[in-house]
Amino acid sequence: MSETTSSPRLSDRMENARRGLTALIAEAGVARARRDEVAAVKDQRAGDGGTAVCAWNHFENIPTFYNWNNRPR
Amino acid sequence: MGDGTWSGMRGIATTPSYVVMQPTTLCNLNCSYCYLPFRGSDRRMPVSVARAVAGAVRPWARSGRFSVVWHGGEPLASGREHLLALLAEFDDDVEHHVQTNATLIDDAWCEMFRGRQIRVSVSVDGPAARNADRIGRGGRPAYDRIVRGIEALRRHDIPFSALCVVSRPAPGLAAELYAYFLDLGCDVLGINVEEQEGVNTRDNRHPAADVSGFWSEMVAAWRRDPRIHLREIEWTLRYAEAVLDGTADRVLPRELDPIPTVAYDGSVVLLSPELAGFSDKRYGDFVSGNVLHTPLADILDGAVTRTPWIGEFLDGVEACRARCPYFGFCGGGHAANRYFERGRFDVTETEHCRNSKIRLLEGVLDHVRDHQQPTAV
Repeated sequence: MSETTSSPRLSDRMENARRGLTALIAEAGVARARRDEVAAVKDQRAGDGGTAVCAWNHFENIPTFYNWNNRPR
Repeated sequence: MGDGTWSGMRGIATTPSYVVMQPTTLCNLNCSYCYLPFRGSDRRMPVSVARAVAGAVRPWARSGRFSVVWHGGEPLASGREHLLALLAEFDDDVEHHVQTNATLIDDAWCEMFRGRQIRVSVSVDGPAARNADRIGRGGRPAYDRIVRGIEALRRHDIPFSALCVVSRPAPGLAAELYAYFLDLGCDVLGINVEEQEGVNTRDNRHPAADVSGFWSEMVAAWRRDPRIHLREIEWTLRYAEAVLDGTADRVLPRELDPIPTVAYDGSVVLLSPELAGFSDKRYGDFVSGNVLHTPLADILDGAVTRTPWIGEFLDGVEACRARCPYFGFCGGGHAANRYFERGRFDVTETEHCRNSKIRLLEGVLDHVRDHQQPTAV
């Protein structure tokens, strides 16, 4: 049986979870900054290799196997 | 943005953001869940194949970030000298990555990784007891060798990512795994729920509550100490943020990345590397061309019209777009999952969709629901 016919709509359920999601998203933002992922992007552009960390604002070209859509495994 | 009217993932881009290269078909391990058909034989990529790819990607690397992912087999099984010879064909502005089982990593490999600025991702499934499927050719567990390789990376202060295959996702496992990877010291973690593809025909159906419970527990564990960039959570929260901002339709890439996989012999399979090395009465060998005979750019330009399965796959993406409320999050089921689970490319929901996309998002929502603070009055 398909799991994609659930109701109410997914977007409505996400909207109903707004408060909790917003808190979680904010925590993720703080964690990202602590991981210096923004700095890692700058390092990579400066040519020193940066870290293994995927660039948060570089989704469509995330290195290695961290591309989300039609990614290889 | 409502469900069902997504504008991304229409067609296939003619410029990839990375290529997957197979320096050898050989793997020194024989993991139970591996999908690769020729991992017992050492078919090595000649330098001429690397030269052809390097020439093709030169303009792409000059106009933006571009990566080569050395995959396998086990890429390190090709040997340092051979891999260096392949790497030497590429310009300096191309990023290089290896996905490795880590068992062959020693000081010399670490010096090469550092010297060539190669980014490293290791495959390990958690503590020793969780690595029962990762075995050598004689059937012995590979875990000790995996750990020795990772210790070498740490000794050389080389940052690394990790990929973890989870065969039976269920509550109780996620917290254990996340704690393990915190201790391991990886920067980035991706969780791959085992997939039924290639020569791996093991059943990947799981109770929905087990899988969403696994993901929900993973969020809770990560939230307590979010030092690791956890791929699945980052992507889910990125989507959630866009939904709440009313920008969800901008999350998906406009077109699918073709992700060319260049096999050892120069043959090119697009979209799903797992299809490389297989053939089917209906679809042939899934190959779109060979870089030794046709420039990679030309292979990509003509792929949709000349490779019948790709057109059928694009029909499948449109079917997902029309029917699936998770499309804006997922972008459509992957080609290999459609084919290996259901025998066609124009089908929609797969077990992989359920385990790694639908139940992931639902698990995050479950976590939020269970941890949402009541509104202050």
